[in-house]
Amino acid sequence: MKEKQRNLQLYIPVYSIAISIYIFAGIIKPIFFTWNNNVNLFTRVTPLIFAGMAQTFVILTGGIDLSIGSIIGLTSVLAVSLPFIDKPLNIVMWIFIPPLVGLSMGLINGLIISKGRFPPLIVTLATGAIFQGIALFIMPTPGGKVSLSIARIVTGTMLKIPNPLIIFLVFSYIFHLILRRTEFGRSIYAIGGNEAIAHESGILCSKIKIWAYGVSGLLGAFAGMFISIWIVSADPLIGEPYIMNSIAVAILSGTALSGGKGGVTGIIGGAYIYLLINNILNLLGISTFYQFIVKGLILILALTISSSGIIFNIRSILRRLFFLKTKSIEKMGE
Amino acid sequence: MNKLSTNINNSRITNFILRGRVIISLFVLIILMFILGGIISKGFLSFRHMGIILRLASFLGIVSIGQTIVILTGGIDLSVGPLITMGNLFACMFIKGLDSNTLWALVVIVLIGAFFGFFSGLGIAYLRISPLVMTMAVGSLVTGISLIFSQGAPKGFASPILKYLSVEKLLNIFPVMILIWIVLSAFFILLLNYSSFGRKIYYIGANEKVAFLSGIKTRLVKTLVYSMSGATAAFTGALMAGYTETAFLGIGNAYLMWSITAVVIGGTSLTGGSGSYLNTIAGSIIVVLLESLLTVLRIPEAGRRIVNGAIILILVSIYYYSQKNKKYNI
Repeated sequence: MKEKQRNLQLYIPVYSIAISIYIFAGIIKPIFFTWNNNVNLFTRVTPLIFAGMAQTFVILTGGIDLSIGSIIGLTSVLAVSLPFIDKPLNIVMWIFIPPLVGLSMGLINGLIISKGRFPPLIVTLATGAIFQGIALFIMPTPGGKVSLSIARIVTGTMLKIPNPLIIFLVFSYIFHLILRRTEFGRSIYAIGGNEAIAHESGILCSKIKIWAYGVSGLLGAFAGMFISIWIVSADPLIGEPYIMNSIAVAILSGTALSGGKGGVTGIIGGAYIYLLINNILNLLGISTFYQFIVKGLILILALTISSSGIIFNIRSILRRLFFLKTKSIEKMGE
Repeated sequence: MNKLSTNINNSRITNFILRGRVIISLFVLIILMFILGGIISKGFLSFRHMGIILRLASFLGIVSIGQTIVILTGGIDLSVGPLITMGNLFACMFIKGLDSNTLWALVVIVLIGAFFGFFSGLGIAYLRISPLVMTMAVGSLVTGISLIFSQGAPKGFASPILKYLSVEKLLNIFPVMILIWIVLSAFFILLLNYSSFGRKIYYIGANEKVAFLSGIKTRLVKTLVYSMSGATAAFTGALMAGYTETAFLGIGNAYLMWSITAVVIGGTSLTGGSGSYLNTIAGSIIVVLLESLLTVLRIPEAGRRIVNGAIILILVSIYYYSQKNKKYNI
């Protein structure tokens, strides 16, 4: 019960901002509320959610993953270069090979970082260059094809519900449960909070860290596969913007860069905030050049808020609004 | 007392040798790479080719000045790439091929670069935002601004003076660009080693809390360090305009990775506090030489990236194990 309340305090601001931006967008352009636009948004937000979750797992341990872009690029290249004739074996291969490759790339990152005790920043920068090289080696120029039946399943609808919606809801719930309900997830928070103490209390820090990077690679692979299905081809360099996007989404969804605070509960809200602001600019017909500026400003603003503790104040205000009696929780809020 | 002083002397000498060992082995590596290149292709060892390599290394070297001092404080600057592009773009836009515009254009560009560096420095030092993400965000901001000003199609071209600075030779003997690099490096090496500001940079990198408690204005120093990094990056971009004659929107992209590689090859610790710019000079030459070698070997882009990544990983592990620097660090 207490944990639920704490989660609400954390994520009410994220989701309320997302919803208010959504309503604002609908007011300036009524076309925004049409079902078609929403289906389009579900498709566009899914890779952001996957990439954001991937980054969240790493940031929670106190690290950072700059190779996520290359993992996305490499897995999207893999997803289109596997044989695409609709045979059961090919489909099984298609489902398993890119995630396994993503997982192993993440594990490599984790192994180097935790066994060598090198800074995650430089390690993932280097491995990112290597993964990108491999992607360029497999496919030097953009192109390729995907199995149409898979594309139909993933981006289609089921009982009039768009499948991307189901995909990101299910996956974000699964990873939410992994973080909150399993020993692995709890250990990630403990390591991000204070690695030395986590070590003292018997957590196998290096093992947990390796697997956190592994999960991050796996989620990056899902993002890459989804992108390749969505654009029905692949580009070895398509992941580049996702380095910054994933970090921005992770921060917007309430995860602190210092590690140990946050989670994937707010990831849908964070991804929506990030996507909607850019979408509004598109709807208003503002040049894409301004989107770089807006992206940078959103990131700086979110960082300023999260590092100076304004969010905490909003939280405490909301806490007073919603949970008048629970004063004892205030102490354990942070 | 005597014993103590000899001990100190000994440790000083061993320190000197230890420090010297890195720089000596780096320069031996450079010579080996030149010889390797000479074996593969005949023109590699020619005086002209060496000049070209050093000139390219001087562009990288000037960017790496900023990157080195930022990394010495324990931060990192990911906005150097976009700032180089912006410097390059603005140089062509302001100068429009006229000598008379060159001086003020260079000054304005350096100031603009310093401003954006100052901006990220403010966020990092005063709002305590992680340097990585702050500079990344500022980089995005700078990219947007350069795109808006150029509207995607860069205009203008470099003036003869700027071309002279980055391509020609002084009295037909010594490339001017390398001279600029030497002057700037001498200034920054002196600044880092013999000024109180330089020592403060090292102290902040070694332990920011202790530096703050011993009365160093850590926030101010950090802000200034990021401003310097912005200024050197923008200045490099402007000088590159002389090399390329017209502006090019993707010019800075490769330099982000290269500048970090150059600093890492030089053995400057990414956690801050140890390292020097002299090593980064060797690092920049090695990075450029490696690119040149890979070109001679006709390695495709894919292979180059893999080699670059592998080299960073190998060198980081060598330095970490040789220093036994086993801290928990980020």
